Amino acid sequence: MSAPPPRTVAQAIEDAAASGSSTGYRFLEESPDVAPFHSYVDVERMSARFGGAMQAMGLRKGDRIALILPDNADFVFAFLGAVRAGIIPVPIYPPTGLGKLSGYLENTLHIVAKSGARVLLTSSEIKKILGTIQAQAPGLEKVVAVEGVRTASDKLRPEKIDLDDVCFLQFTSGSTARPKGVTLTHRNLAANVHAIMPVGLSIQDGVDHGVSWLPLYHDMGLIGFVIAPIYHRNQITFLPPLLFLKRPARWLESISKYKGSISFGPNFAYALAVKRIKESEMEGLDLSSWRIAGCGAEPIRADNLRAFAEKFSRIGFDERAFVCCYGMAESTLAVSFSKIWTGVRADVVDGETLWAKGHAEPAAEGSPRASGIVECGAAFEEHEIKTFAPDDTESARPLPEREVGELRIRGPSVMQGYWNDPEVTKRSFAGGFLRTGDLGYIAEGKVYICGRSKEVVIVNGRNYYPQDIEWEASQVEGVRKGNVIAFGTMKGPSDRERVVIAFETGEKDEATKKRLEADVRKAVQQTVGLTVDDVVPLAPGVLPKTSSGKLQRARTRELYESGELLGRTSAREVDKLDLVKEIAKSQIGYFRHRLFGKSDE
Amino acid sequence: MTWNRETVHEELLKVFRQHKQTEIEVSETSHIVADLGIDSLGVMEVLADLEDTFKLTIPDEALREINTIGDVATAVLTRLEGDGRLQG
Repeated sequence: MSAPPPRTVAQAIEDAAASGSSTGYRFLEESPDVAPFHSYVDVERMSARFGGAMQAMGLRKGDRIALILPDNADFVFAFLGAVRAGIIPVPIYPPTGLGKLSGYLENTLHIVAKSGARVLLTSSEIKKILGTIQAQAPGLEKVVAVEGVRTASDKLRPEKIDLDDVCFLQFTSGSTARPKGVTLTHRNLAANVHAIMPVGLSIQDGVDHGVSWLPLYHDMGLIGFVIAPIYHRNQITFLPPLLFLKRPARWLESISKYKGSISFGPNFAYALAVKRIKESEMEGLDLSSWRIAGCGAEPIRADNLRAFAEKFSRIGFDERAFVCCYGMAESTLAVSFSKIWTGVRADVVDGETLWAKGHAEPAAEGSPRASGIVECGAAFEEHEIKTFAPDDTESARPLPEREVGELRIRGPSVMQGYWNDPEVTKRSFAGGFLRTGDLGYIAEGKVYICGRSKEVVIVNGRNYYPQDIEWEASQVEGVRKGNVIAFGTMKGPSDRERVVIAFETGEKDEATKKRLEADVRKAVQQTVGLTVDDVVPLAPGVLPKTSSGKLQRARTRELYESGELLGRTSAREVDKLDLVKEIAKSQIGYFRHRLFGKSDE
Repeated sequence: MTWNRETVHEELLKVFRQHKQTEIEVSETSHIVADLGIDSLGVMEVLADLEDTFKLTIPDEALREINTIGDVATAVLTRLEGDGRLQG
């Protein structure tokens, strides 16, 4: 399908309004009786009001405005208003209240400072929580409460928006201290929206109806369900993200009630629906309108999707609706989708060969060494996905099919770089390709993801950086500073990644060690806000280090998973042999346990 | 159904005992995430249980003031009192 001439997001809003389409956004709230609807004509008017108010605050084209808006309608109108005024919105997630507020404030401050936002728009309630943030961010001139903007009467002064103007900044992956702002232009968005909607999902303009509980400060919710639908005038029904987490049944109820045809979620959302939705809540629901059930943003576990299909087929869910997605903010949103209406498909390969040699050798289903790897489809037209050896810094020699390497992408959806961060940007590209940091292979043109070379821990769709967890654990008295390793493991009885912290201590007394364990657990849970599954105190010198003294996270995970970590007395004596073994193995070996959900075992 | 401070308190301890992820004994001062190891997803599940038990709604904004079981008790008691369903 040849692409139509690309349009800016601003143009798409005006076009949708001018079409007189009766479709638009519906914003569901906690009370089932409240469901305000705004047609695209209305969206045009409301966004103009917000954009005009921002201009009246003194913001000009190219200035940044940070948005911390927990209400979906506020967020959508403010975001689109800024875009139409040429002001660059910087979405930031609202505080949830769990975990220490200081951590949230620090993170927010870093993003505000890095983006150089002049204004921060938020609710009056959150404004109180933000306290001294303005004094600490030198460029931030004011923190404005959104309540006054809702009823503002300023007119939007027309602004010429070009395809190569920056549309918005998506702050993403990077530890707290080093947030990275993915910089997306209107041209990036137009290209990715085209790839997603007509090409990837065969969307029918004005007909397909999306239902989304996804947070709007994240690419899947924002681009997939706010921006892309404007281009194709699709009706969207939004649920508040926390409402979904509290009452997962509301997600399926909404699809049933509004005859939704498209809805996406990370793997955990499907697992949560299976776990939490009661039989009684399924009474009277009909999911037969659901034609595309996208799954992405975290590793896809075929078992979880199968369980979802099993449970909900009774009320009309068709497992062929599953679309397995590979994507990242650096590529706007989507990199590839499995073909629609084919469901979850896996490549059955010999697991041993895959890990030992980095080669995906087809294997017979059911053979003892067989591992299933989920297929995520082919590159979109005008885009490329290739694999390279991690040390191929020029992307000079693409690996042959079925050879595992780093996935790298190129095409009009790929960002130009990170905001105000030329150094990190430079490191992220190799010979014109974006280095995704993901490991995988290509077979018959389709992408298969095997693991991440970045060491993030993903729990419930959120990325946590081991460095942040380790730093918090290091603050506990009795823990040897700098001798803490945190990692995620798929091993063990859980349908999510388990979080493990191993630390060294000079304490020998068992009772004291027990107390230290509890202290570390408490410190991390409180500050980082995630459940720690296991804490392992070790004697000094046990954690594996490189010859230059750097802690080895992947190696520690391996030792933990094989049960060897606890048996080690000192790393020093065994490390020579380990070193030889490690050199013999490809880098990929580190990931073998993470990939194919070890829950299968 | 009407409640009093004692029955609310008992009910809360019961629900949190079912959901906790650590060995720690549950008390009014227990920090939900730090002590009991209940993460954001777990907290939302607890809230759904509590809303069903007490027949009330705890809005998202209230979450930002919740750290300990005592905070949850306050959120529940305030709402029960507002509805005239709290005795004593």
